[in-house]
Amino acid sequence: MPSNSASIVKIFFQFLVLAGLFFATLFGLRQIDWLHLFQIETVSRKTEEKIGALSWELIRNTSHEIKSKEPVRALKKLTDRMASVSGIDPNHVKIHLLEQDEINAFALPDGHLIVFSGLINDCRNEAELAGVLGHEIAHIERKHVMKKLAKELGLSVLVSATTGSQHNSEFLKETVRVLSSAAYDRSLETEADQTSVLYLTKAGIDPKPFARFLARMPKGKDEDPSGIFSVSTHPDSDVRSKEILEQIGDQTFESNPVLTEEEWKSLKARVSEEIQ
Amino acid sequence: MHIHPIGEQDAEKASNSYLMSLVFIMAGLPLPIVNLIASLIFYFGNRKAGYFVRWHCTQTLLSQFSLLFINSTGFWWTVSIIFRGEEVTSGYIAYLITALIFNLLDFGSTIYAAIQTRKGIHVKWFFFGVLTDLICPPTQLPS
Repeated sequence: MPSNSASIVKIFFQFLVLAGLFFATLFGLRQIDWLHLFQIETVSRKTEEKIGALSWELIRNTSHEIKSKEPVRALKKLTDRMASVSGIDPNHVKIHLLEQDEINAFALPDGHLIVFSGLINDCRNEAELAGVLGHEIAHIERKHVMKKLAKELGLSVLVSATTGSQHNSEFLKETVRVLSSAAYDRSLETEADQTSVLYLTKAGIDPKPFARFLARMPKGKDEDPSGIFSVSTHPDSDVRSKEILEQIGDQTFESNPVLTEEEWKSLKARVSEEIQ
Repeated sequence: MHIHPIGEQDAEKASNSYLMSLVFIMAGLPLPIVNLIASLIFYFGNRKAGYFVRWHCTQTLLSQFSLLFINSTGFWWTVSIIFRGEEVTSGYIAYLITALIFNLLDFGSTIYAAIQTRKGIHVKWFFFGVLTDLICPPTQLPS
């Protein structure tokens, strides 16, 4: 009969063998690209594309889209600059401009970025607008959009709603409602803010106006814009503004405007015209 | 190890301790704590039983502990994917397959141990057997 100390050594050794076996199996299996093997990425990408396209179709059918090329081109110029310097495919961001008074912008699955004319009206310069657009691009690129939908509606609903022969219109309405009027988790919002600042700085756009824009957001009104800056869900736009200023620190930025003065003024004017 | 002649009743109880864990593996896969609770109940229910029964109840309980850690990690990872929108990654799938392999190993070993102990044959698993010897030392054998 072995002594206790000999048994403990044996136990320790056998535990190491067993744990080693477990982690070696895990490590070995980890080397296989299971997502590719099971075509999970393809399925999830197709699901995202489908939900994005159907949601946008629903919005387009129920809202007034500003189809003038000039304002959309100006917005695209802003997003293209940020995307191209941040290693993002500019074509993945699909800008849609809607005639809506609300100061809002939100992202749909598959890179659809909805911008309300009210937001452009409220922005005092292109840097403020670029900050908000960067925030939404961050939600797209960091896959926050699908995460939020999966959390709010459930993963199974997402898959079944897009794989069925008849698309559930209630599901699409709910998708649009969730994405346009409910905030992301605080951590995701912070991540989007920080990422937006990175996009802005890489693109040569001063991020301070974005912080000022957040600080300027009206507080405590129920009719306050929904989505990214809703007061009911974002009582901390001041905090977010401060966090952005802390992130920037003492850095100084050389102004490298994306739009010419004329283009910015024209964008504002065209949007105002459309609203009237 | 010297084992005293095993009575029919003891062999049945010892074998049942494995069968108990086996049955609860089914329920325990979605909710891992069930396995452990089942083994704990059986363990405490047989504390006063003969050495052979106690030894095998202990071995079952210890093996369930290790499975609890493995399955709980998989369980909460899955919950975070379904309810918190975490992404399905290759790492997650690799973990699930690893957990499945170890559960199957446990499943096979449990069936084997249940059959052998039913015949009154002592089965000592790698690691868990030595650990059980330490917790239930053979000196506790009834004279």
